[in-house]
Amino acid sequence: MDSMVRNPDVKQRDAAQAVVVAVSSDAIFTPEVEQVHGATEPLRKGDAFSFMKAIQVVNERLLTLNSDETLLFDVILLSNDSEEKHSRIIASAKHYGLDIGRFCFCNKEDSIESLQSNNVKLFLSTDTNDVCKALQKGVPAALLYHQTDPHHQTEDQLKVVFSGDVIGSSEEMLHGLREQGFTETQLQGFKTAKGSVKEFAILMGEMRRRFGLEGSPLCTGLMTAWSSRDVCASALKTLRGWGLLVDEAFCLAGAPRSPILNLVRPHIICLDGLYHMEGFTAMS
Amino acid sequence: MAESKTTDPAATEAGEEKDWTATKAFFDSLKTNQPRPPKPQYAVTIAVSSRSLFNMVAEGKIYKEDGVEKYVAYQQEHDNEPLMPGVAFPLVEALMNVNAGLRRLYPDSDELFDIVLMTNNHAQVGVRLINSINHYGSWSTLSAILQCYLTIERFCMTGGESPIGYLKAYMTNLYLSKDGEQVIEAIEEGIAAATTFASGDVENQLSDTQLKVAFDGDAVLFSESAIIVKQHSLDTFFEHETEFENKPRAQGPVKCFLEALGMLQRKFYAKNERMTCPIRTYLVTSRSAASSGVRVLKTLRSWGLEIDEALFLAGAPKGPLLQKIQPHIFFDDQMFHIEGAKELGTIAAHVPYGIGQKYHKGIFTEQPAKDTT
Repeated sequence: MDSMVRNPDVKQRDAAQAVVVAVSSDAIFTPEVEQVHGATEPLRKGDAFSFMKAIQVVNERLLTLNSDETLLFDVILLSNDSEEKHSRIIASAKHYGLDIGRFCFCNKEDSIESLQSNNVKLFLSTDTNDVCKALQKGVPAALLYHQTDPHHQTEDQLKVVFSGDVIGSSEEMLHGLREQGFTETQLQGFKTAKGSVKEFAILMGEMRRRFGLEGSPLCTGLMTAWSSRDVCASALKTLRGWGLLVDEAFCLAGAPRSPILNLVRPHIICLDGLYHMEGFTAMS
Repeated sequence: MAESKTTDPAATEAGEEKDWTATKAFFDSLKTNQPRPPKPQYAVTIAVSSRSLFNMVAEGKIYKEDGVEKYVAYQQEHDNEPLMPGVAFPLVEALMNVNAGLRRLYPDSDELFDIVLMTNNHAQVGVRLINSINHYGSWSTLSAILQCYLTIERFCMTGGESPIGYLKAYMTNLYLSKDGEQVIEAIEEGIAAATTFASGDVENQLSDTQLKVAFDGDAVLFSESAIIVKQHSLDTFFEHETEFENKPRAQGPVKCFLEALGMLQRKFYAKNERMTCPIRTYLVTSRSAASSGVRVLKTLRSWGLEIDEALFLAGAPKGPLLQKIQPHIFFDDQMFHIEGAKELGTIAAHVPYGIGQKYHKGIFTEQPAKDTT
């Protein structure tokens, strides 16, 4: 069971047309080390802060181009916090002027159900495991990229990067994963994840097309971590087929990804289910 | 919820090892026997721009005259049309040939050349670039027995932003581009870089069994002496040289590349392949052996560098000599020499470092050299 609270300070979007994004409250506001009873000051900014600001810029630009635009970001803050923290969360959102349409308070176990029932197009978390779990349950999810230096994260352009190793791999290549010890459940999970990524990619493609090649408040990218150039090319063409023409592409073929990601500075990375292999062995 | 582990160095390293394991597994599973790219930490990484790898003159014109949207649309329409090879293409092929030899002698080593396509092009242009690489990768001017693939598996397409920041992230040892300003930026970041110039329509017959790299001495390998000549006089220069005969010169920006070549050469020597070593290096300098030759050779020795042939021209033009050598690339800091080399068909690359680039035909210019084609 969840409790949904509408934010009176924010104009409600048409949820059927909008890109509904659920962000965990722990990502928007840094979780406090010690809970102080009766504390009222605003919560500290979390990892998702610059993401929140960036989507605001995208929404504003979309509305400038077309005041009747319905393909906007519609954010739901998802919180598993205790009841006494609820009002503080709502007050903090108001304090920072965050474009959060609704607050969803529920238990951790009910989170996935809440996401599914609210037609969420994307669930965001800083935890790889939570993202992968959601993906495997068919909930589209992406990782909020943890910046080592948050001051360097841009707030005037939203950067969305898609991970392409699975998107670009052929059926045959994915078959080969079986030999590397992945179970059928996991493999089915990758297929489901690919489906979820597709939906979000289509939406991003449509949104990206509202703007020209230069000066866009939305920048999209593709990154392949361990596969060959052909897989990357295949991923580019697949995304193109889904209507998403990415701006940037990085093929790493095993090169260390942290230094490159630290320069790309994405706000979110849409995993295709195979971000870190160790995350999967822990889940089977 | 748990914090993401990306800031924990130990976890990052563990993640990198997982990625590397996945990469090896992926390439091992390919039926094409395509070699996997080397681990960047051990490789000699050469980043090439799309315009230096391929001839994109016609496309460049569309960009200049019709703007970026038309340019990208054009490239997309011609996705499946391979681009013609550019000025750096023969060099890349020669590097692949060296790799084939190294893989044969040291099958488990990652000390190989690694080519990264580093471009500020839009990712949609990438499809045509990859298709073009595939076109040349499937056949080659080299012997079919060598089964040489164009192992360009890594690339960085920044969609309009400067790619210079990424050079370090991709562990680049040498950056080649047609854009003089980007080359200067790279050198200022401490990365060896040079501006490539097309050798025009002159036919050249480059060796397909041996990589030949030629370097100019001043300002390429050695940095402060050129300043002495330009700002003072030749006499001061000679005095300086004799006085400092026993003092090694300061390093120029391309010195590290020569070092890397030497390191790979020694791997062939270790397996008794000195006579058939597929790498040969040349020093081609305007200076004379008598005046500054001693210091040059002593410096090279002190750096542990072996250059195969040192040619002191004592003022004679470099063009005809280079035409004889036919290097896959010739590095020089003065446009005057670059032009002389180009005229006779040599693939030349300008290293804009030190006082040399501010002068052209004796006139102080301050503009970065650029191949505007």
